[in-house]
Amino acid sequence: MAQKRLMQGNEAVAEGAIAAGMTFFAGYPITPASEVLQYLVKRPEVRAVQFEDEISSVCALVGASLAGARAMTATSGPGFSLMQEGIGLGHMMETPFVIVDVQRVGPSTGMPTLPAQGDVMQATYGSHGDYFPIVFYPNSVQELYEYTIHAFNAAEESQSPVILLSDGYLGHLYETIETKRNVRLRKRKRPPLGVGGRHFTGLTSVDNTPTPQDPEAHRRMIARMQAKQREVGARYAHYEYISNRKADTLVVCFGSLSRAVMPLADRYAIFRPILLYPPIEEFSEIAKRYRKVVVVEMNAGQYVRVVQRLMRRTALSLPMIGGDLDVLRLEERLKWITTAS
Amino acid sequence: MDYDSFLRTDRLPTSWCAGCGNGTVLRAIIEAAHRLGWDASNTVAVSGIGCSGRTAGYFSFDSIHAVHGRAVPVAEGIKLHRPELNVILVSGDGDLCGIGGNHLLHAARRDTNLNVVLVDNEIYGMTGGQTAPTTPLGTKTITAPDGAWEKPFNVQGVIKAHGAFYARSTTWHVRHLAKCLDAAFRHPGFAFVDAKSQCTSNYGRRLGYRTAYDMLEHFKTAYRINDGAQTLADDEIGITA
Repeated sequence: MAQKRLMQGNEAVAEGAIAAGMTFFAGYPITPASEVLQYLVKRPEVRAVQFEDEISSVCALVGASLAGARAMTATSGPGFSLMQEGIGLGHMMETPFVIVDVQRVGPSTGMPTLPAQGDVMQATYGSHGDYFPIVFYPNSVQELYEYTIHAFNAAEESQSPVILLSDGYLGHLYETIETKRNVRLRKRKRPPLGVGGRHFTGLTSVDNTPTPQDPEAHRRMIARMQAKQREVGARYAHYEYISNRKADTLVVCFGSLSRAVMPLADRYAIFRPILLYPPIEEFSEIAKRYRKVVVVEMNAGQYVRVVQRLMRRTALSLPMIGGDLDVLRLEERLKWITTAS
Repeated sequence: MDYDSFLRTDRLPTSWCAGCGNGTVLRAIIEAAHRLGWDASNTVAVSGIGCSGRTAGYFSFDSIHAVHGRAVPVAEGIKLHRPELNVILVSGDGDLCGIGGNHLLHAARRDTNLNVVLVDNEIYGMTGGQTAPTTPLGTKTITAPDGAWEKPFNVQGVIKAHGAFYARSTTWHVRHLAKCLDAAFRHPGFAFVDAKSQCTSNYGRRLGYRTAYDMLEHFKTAYRINDGAQTLADDEIGITA
């Protein structure tokens, strides 16, 4: 059963979360993500709480998730920075929840109302230590809705915090979408708090007992978590690939910027990962068909490093920073970088 | 009573130094929980980081050892989602009043039904004896060699300013501490027990106390009980009105 509705990107995230059975939301107002919280406080099926900051919001998710909730928060870059310690804790305690980052121009306060993709690296490397988050980045209001549901399921399957990247353009974009009923939801295996004898800690631990000075135990734990995250991530290795036999250049793009690249499909082949991390392995085979690979992103060149590692060769980096989605400028710069190199 | 049923006996002995006050507080909490019939099916323990931050992990309840300063929001997440669970939060002055100070005052303002026990030893013990938010003015620490120059954190003021439950006791006054915990655990909102405790290794030893008992004797003489007071003076302990 599907229903058509005109919806804003941030609202689609909220609706997707409700469809995914979310019961707890904690957040702090921030441009351009505030609509998610504003939308959810009106919904009786969700306990949506405005906390004093993003640190407490993400930590409340850890507690609520351990207590059995399907939990989510939504923020933007400055708040996402504050959430990093809670994300690390969520990984150590293997706690499922979803974090939506509606990216804006940074660093720091930057340009709050303008979109960016500057958190692509922070999404996977923002917290200290080794952890392997699953990160999605849709490019339409419909996809925001669907990938919010996927993010909840991936969180349950991996028992870890899953990141859903959005951006100021997508978050405020209105499009007609199809909502779903009877969504298939993954169930939690671990019983909620109230069993006894279990100890959830940020310390490296074995069988509910901290082992803070056992290198072998730590290596085993990290290897297990890495394998688990790869395995679950591989189930969601979603991407869009527009092949082009006449083109010698493959353009890699994602999120709102990919919407501006799509009209250029007559000139270039286009690869759009929807799962950013763990990186999509199939990409290396696709990239072999093209002489040049350009990674165009609204940052100074973050995901290009991932792309190069997958291909094991050099890619061209085309930064489109500044928050203006200028299609003509993008077209010009793509032409310039592919002819100049 | 059967203390072992409340403890992760496989984890004993604790990691705490001989003479530490954490064990006294742990025992008092177990006794209070026992009196109320709280058990692993209806109770969760939460701690932050520090010596007293290890307390949660010694309970046989499901327990959470949060990151530094964030025990309060983690506990709020539990309580907001599962109001029927009793949540006992034990942590130190650095964790609750320093790095977690903002969460503390907002939880008090929201009046979330948490039972917060502050083990206040006036020092950062685990990290070696640095100045804490509650270190008294003029007290020498390894980061304040000329004596702490800042006014100590007024935790009573912060909690009571928002109309929440506040009681103060010490590890010497164990019966009074029990009374404070009973009242706090029964309180239907945010309840805070400020338990003055001793750190022998990284505080008392440097201040001239020869033994843990010397520090307890100090509590005995320095504080007098004044239950029912609107506001406790610095040399008073009690359950405030």
